[in-house]
Amino acid sequence: MKLKKYKLPVLAVAMLATIFSCSEDYLEVTPTGTFLTGNYYTNETEAFAGLVAAYDYLRKNSGTFENMITMMNAGSDDHYAGGGTSTDGAGIQSFSKYTLNSIEIPDSFWSDHFKGVYRANIMIQKLPDISMDESLKARYMAESKALRAYYYFNLVRLFENVPLLTEPVSTADMYNVVQASSEEVYAQIELDLLDAIDVLPSTVVSSEYGRITKGAAQAILGKVYLEQGKNTEAAAQFAEVNGTPGSTSQYGYKLLDNFDDLWDIDNKYNSESIFEVGHSDLALTGWSNSYSDTDEGNLVCTMVGPRGFVDLNTTDDIPEYSSGWSFNPILPELYNLLKDDPRFEATVLDLKTLSEEGKISYTPGYQDTGYFLNKFAPLTSEESTGAGDMWLNHRQNSYIIRLADTYLLEAEALGGTGTRAQALLDAVRARVGLASIPVSLTNILAERRLELAGEGQRWFDLRRNGTLATKLADRGFVAGKHEIFPIPYGELENTKLVQNPNY
Amino acid sequence: MGVSIMAQTYEIKGNVADSNGMPLPGVTIVVKGTKNGATTDFDGNFVIANVQKGNSLVFSYVGYATKEVVVSSANSLTVVLAEDMQSLDEVVVVGYGTQKKSVVTGAISSVKAEDLEGLPVERVEQALQGRVSGVVIAADAGQPGSSSTVRVRGITTIGTNDPLWVIDGVVVSSSTIGYLNQSDIQSIEVLKDAASLAIYGARAAAGVILVTTKKGKQGKINVGYSTFYGVSKASKKLSLLNASEYAAIMNEKSVADGGSVVFSDISSLGKGTDWQDVIFNDSAARSSHEFSLSGGNEVSTFYASFGISDQEGIVLSDISNFNRKSIRLNSTHKISDYVKVGQTLGYAHKRSMGITTNSEYGGPLSSAINLDPITPAVITDPVVANSSLYTSNAVMTDEDGNPYGISSYVGQEMSNPLAYQETVRGNYGWSDDVIGNVFVEITPMEGLVFKSAVSGTMAYWGSEGFVPEYYLQSSIVNSQNYLYSSRSKSFGWNLENTASYSKSIGVHDFSVLLGQGVYIDGISSGVGVTYYDLPVTTREEASFNFSVTDDQITGYSWTGTEHKVISLFSRLNYNYDEKYLFTGIIRRDGSSRFGDNNKFGFFPSFSAGWVTSKESFWPENDVVSKLKIRGGFGVTGNDAIGDFGYLALVGGGRNYTFGEDGTIYTGYSPNAPDNPDLKWEETSQTNIGFEARVLENFDVNFDYFIKKTSGILQDVEIPGYVGASGSPLGNVADMKNSGLEFEVSYNKSWGDLNFRASGNVSYLENEVTNLGEGKEFISGEAAFQSMGDVTRIQVGQSINAFYGYQTNGIFQNIDEINSYVSSTGTVIQPDAVPGDFKWVDNNGDGEITDDDRTFLGTPLPKYTFGLTLNLDYKGFDFMVFTQGVAGNKIFQGLRRLDVTNANHQTSVLQRWTGEGTSNDYPRLTNSDPNGNFGKFSDFYLEDGDFIRFKTIQLGYTLPSEIVQKIGASKLRLYVTGENLFTITNYSGYDPEIGGSVMGIDRGYYPQAQSFMMGLNVQF
Repeated sequence: MKLKKYKLPVLAVAMLATIFSCSEDYLEVTPTGTFLTGNYYTNETEAFAGLVAAYDYLRKNSGTFENMITMMNAGSDDHYAGGGTSTDGAGIQSFSKYTLNSIEIPDSFWSDHFKGVYRANIMIQKLPDISMDESLKARYMAESKALRAYYYFNLVRLFENVPLLTEPVSTADMYNVVQASSEEVYAQIELDLLDAIDVLPSTVVSSEYGRITKGAAQAILGKVYLEQGKNTEAAAQFAEVNGTPGSTSQYGYKLLDNFDDLWDIDNKYNSESIFEVGHSDLALTGWSNSYSDTDEGNLVCTMVGPRGFVDLNTTDDIPEYSSGWSFNPILPELYNLLKDDPRFEATVLDLKTLSEEGKISYTPGYQDTGYFLNKFAPLTSEESTGAGDMWLNHRQNSYIIRLADTYLLEAEALGGTGTRAQALLDAVRARVGLASIPVSLTNILAERRLELAGEGQRWFDLRRNGTLATKLADRGFVAGKHEIFPIPYGELENTKLVQNPNY
Repeated sequence: MGVSIMAQTYEIKGNVADSNGMPLPGVTIVVKGTKNGATTDFDGNFVIANVQKGNSLVFSYVGYATKEVVVSSANSLTVVLAEDMQSLDEVVVVGYGTQKKSVVTGAISSVKAEDLEGLPVERVEQALQGRVSGVVIAADAGQPGSSSTVRVRGITTIGTNDPLWVIDGVVVSSSTIGYLNQSDIQSIEVLKDAASLAIYGARAAAGVILVTTKKGKQGKINVGYSTFYGVSKASKKLSLLNASEYAAIMNEKSVADGGSVVFSDISSLGKGTDWQDVIFNDSAARSSHEFSLSGGNEVSTFYASFGISDQEGIVLSDISNFNRKSIRLNSTHKISDYVKVGQTLGYAHKRSMGITTNSEYGGPLSSAINLDPITPAVITDPVVANSSLYTSNAVMTDEDGNPYGISSYVGQEMSNPLAYQETVRGNYGWSDDVIGNVFVEITPMEGLVFKSAVSGTMAYWGSEGFVPEYYLQSSIVNSQNYLYSSRSKSFGWNLENTASYSKSIGVHDFSVLLGQGVYIDGISSGVGVTYYDLPVTTREEASFNFSVTDDQITGYSWTGTEHKVISLFSRLNYNYDEKYLFTGIIRRDGSSRFGDNNKFGFFPSFSAGWVTSKESFWPENDVVSKLKIRGGFGVTGNDAIGDFGYLALVGGGRNYTFGEDGTIYTGYSPNAPDNPDLKWEETSQTNIGFEARVLENFDVNFDYFIKKTSGILQDVEIPGYVGASGSPLGNVADMKNSGLEFEVSYNKSWGDLNFRASGNVSYLENEVTNLGEGKEFISGEAAFQSMGDVTRIQVGQSINAFYGYQTNGIFQNIDEINSYVSSTGTVIQPDAVPGDFKWVDNNGDGEITDDDRTFLGTPLPKYTFGLTLNLDYKGFDFMVFTQGVAGNKIFQGLRRLDVTNANHQTSVLQRWTGEGTSNDYPRLTNSDPNGNFGKFSDFYLEDGDFIRFKTIQLGYTLPSEIVQKIGASKLRLYVTGENLFTITNYSGYDPEIGGSVMGIDRGYYPQAQSFMMGLNVQF
């Protein structure tokens, strides 16, 4: 007992001493699973990881609920928003009805593209100081610039008046950013793409499929020129991409012989593909990480699939469709235009007829027409069988630009006249077995509508040709307002940004 | 002596115990008016001779109310002494020690074990609710095992506002606090002002709640058993449309938009399904058993307990229930005259099943409120059951194989709650918490105490479940079954060494405390795994032992970030004759969450008191017999922020796929801009108050405070164009809380009738005073469906005040629309039609835009109050406890307004249907062009004032002669009603709605109304 009496205070004093000796160091806690920005971007591996992050937002085209394809389809004269109810996705519904306002506009169409810009900017800022193979570094730089250009192209097309940021904005300047004119933004986009085109490879090895090539950058640049009415420059870029209509171009592009093969989900990065978004079922995405940066699925497939599809007669050859959310129902006008077209089967899933014939049943969604977008509607046999949620893991890629698109764009850039324009239009029609028709801007636009139906192009085609207001008058389209999106409300809070006109 | 011969004298024997039946040793007994006396022995027994009939025996004991008993016979006496609630000699726990209440200079509120005795509450927060001033407590849900939102003196900061819980000296997170067994609690003290809080420095700004658990007492072994059993039901159901009413309303809405009649034969639909009856259980069982064993001798004391509590939820009880088993062992041991060691240890195992609550997106409550009443809960019609919808999908069925009905009118996140129940039945979460400490106390000389304590908290938690393949409706489908399991653990410990010395020299009394502490928590990690597509259909068959291919397995693992704090602290108490009082505190804390430049912060405070009634000039009077005036000022901090806020980090998971085979590559990019200047958030507080005894029986306690928080640490909302994946932390805002607190208690006895009342009222005002340069407001704390944000944090306003459109009645006719013009004569709402809301054009620009929104009230109550009345007469005791709030608004968001076919409450029947029919409920349309329902306006706000009769209890303690026959010392039976009535105008289930932004009702799990009977017995 006596001993204890002295031992304990000694122990206490010892504990005190131990703690004081290491007090400052004791408070140092090192982050795990992340890197300090200051220590990162030093080698090739880290540079590649940074580049991957910059590519990440290409998924905006067809990944996540708020994707470009279903959104732009919903606003066009070919589709309704659809979905489960009139409020299934407030943003897409309002856009389709031309009641979109600054609160309902899904912020991500703004912020996701800016995240892409930021990640490209980080790469453009950090790459010069990274020690790595110089030619590879130059390629990464070119890809980063091309990505930045692409993201800005979407931003300026959708919102027109956006801040132009070519390097990461500092915390101090964060609220002082102002919008640039669309001319300034387009000038930067052109500059970036021209820089990139000089360096980018013409082709990539199969494991790199999906990386931006010279042809992809030129195709984007062509679209960028055309959007601004710079038709000559546009035609020149497209001509390099397209080569001789119908044959293999200098970069190896060639129309697929069979239109249906474009929608074979395993026919990825085929010869017609110029700029394609990669999707994968290997992420095994579940609802907990759905729509996040680790979600690699194609959600257009899920969104446009019919609801509650039931094959009532299993002996016939009607494939079994996977259950979806019935977005982007096809309007009768497009249905009728396609009805006798060779591309009908690949484009339209006609459940109206099939259910009338008693072969199948399905649950009509909102604005149901009975016509679904077959280019993306998934079959049960195509469902992901791995872990995660089937709806979130569709592996079908989506095209941002494919050769038939650039053929028709070049023909359009050429003013819809001349032998080359005629040849380009003929090649697109001949591929599906259609006879030649005289080339004209009207016929090119009509061909684009059928060829590219449901691929998110129609709305931009109408706008480029100034026909949005007439085609969409019955939806409530207001000229001088609805050609661009409102800037999300949150972006105006405490910043120097100005809302777009009439919103 | 001659007199004594004439009178008969007795030798009186007896026993003295406290209200728990614990014997009290050392109680002084005197025959009134004589020097004849005795003291009780170790077992509370006494013998006193020479007592005459008619004499009074006076029983007195420190801390207990003195009691007089008139001797009427020679029978032995059993005397119960009540602890003296009025005693200013009461001792309060102040952090690293105790202090006599009479010399305390800070604002501290206490709740003692006696106040909680026999109260059937499962959680400590509920025990505190309504019993102390300055503390707002609102249950997060009525679901069994749910935590409560606790706010001490308002909203201190924008982020985490949870107070610091310290259980027997161990810091315990608010999420873990549910491990405590209520009947193990000896006392709870709430430290409110900076003068009291500063001793907890950097973590004290949002208040500190000290909980002390029971210790054994010297004396005989005491065995206790308490139990209760009861049933619960929903105290209120909403009045929803029945099927016919629903069909009529849907028709009206459709026709109003030029559509067709949806339901042609309304009357044939009848009443249909009331989905509330489907989900609510009106006889949910609730039970509890608690055993305790305590005692001790001169060397050792101990307290041990075991408790088990079972509670079924009132909503889908099969998947909403809670079970807790807890064990406690506290002991102290005198090793020598100088050295004492002791320990406390609490362990709890919890198992819970829960449903999604207060969410407009799914969950059985939201489904029950919004589903159409036409769809039957169970399909019994074979024609329907054999339709392809039910035969070709994996629908859920009841025990008889009948499918649960699937609504064809209401979809999105809503589904048949009975079918949903089958998809999660049997899935549960569990946790094991072990919290304890060991201390050694050395007293080398009188007044000097060295104490060293090591504390630890260890938690394990996880979840287990199986989800079958299911089809609830077309957009809620699971095509692959899966089995999941997750386990996490967390460990934290702290070491505190203190030295204290107290000394009295004449009228000078002082004590000094020096201490240092080192704390670490967040030593944590977890793993989880899910197996998909098992070759089974039921939970019973599901097993991880099945062999599945690699692509059918997903898993995750995480490691937590340690949080470390080191501290030095000291306190000086001085008083002159217990008349002039002074306390000074200084604490220096360092936290791992701060950057090198600001790693350490100083938190000083001082306070003083003046016991005016001890002054010689104070006249002896019955009006104010005791008065203490006190005041103080101090600074506290908050480090409840995320880790590494000061660092710029690059994070992974920004992935993309290249190549034909869809290979995924991991991308890295910066998370958020860094903020190397991150500083401590400081909360300074000034408090003045007084304590008084008034008119003999009233004890009054009053406080006024101003609390200012500056440099509030918060995620800086950054514009989307910055392109960051996360938000940086910054010192972004300043806020002020000020308030008044008033506590009063009243004690009075009339013979055997004892009456005790205690009440409290608090008034609070919150104001955001700064949000940084150029920043007008912050939104995004509470968004609702398609309305967007419904609250704002704005300078000059109360935090998270409701912000929306203001209505000014309904246009009754076209003339009213045309005459609603701006100053320039333009019609303000040209597109409106009669029956639409007239919006107030607050900015006067002649049109209704976002800029016309204004502040519409605050979800934060201005007043909170509680009142407890206790009455006992002979063996009977009666208690009424009421509590409530006032001055707040509730957002009534029970209906999914974006789902046009969602059911309505019957208030819709009072809608506008023509001139003069309504001036507050607009016309119905589906398209809603005026935004009557789609815009957030005061239409959705209701007064949140309520008074709730929280507990009413009637008990009877059997006479000791009877209970002694069964060997017990005390036996009490009681019946209790909980939440019997709530007086409120609020139209939802329950006006008490917790959460980070309180008062947003998205389908709140209502608190149960319970009827219980119980038994307490002591041996």
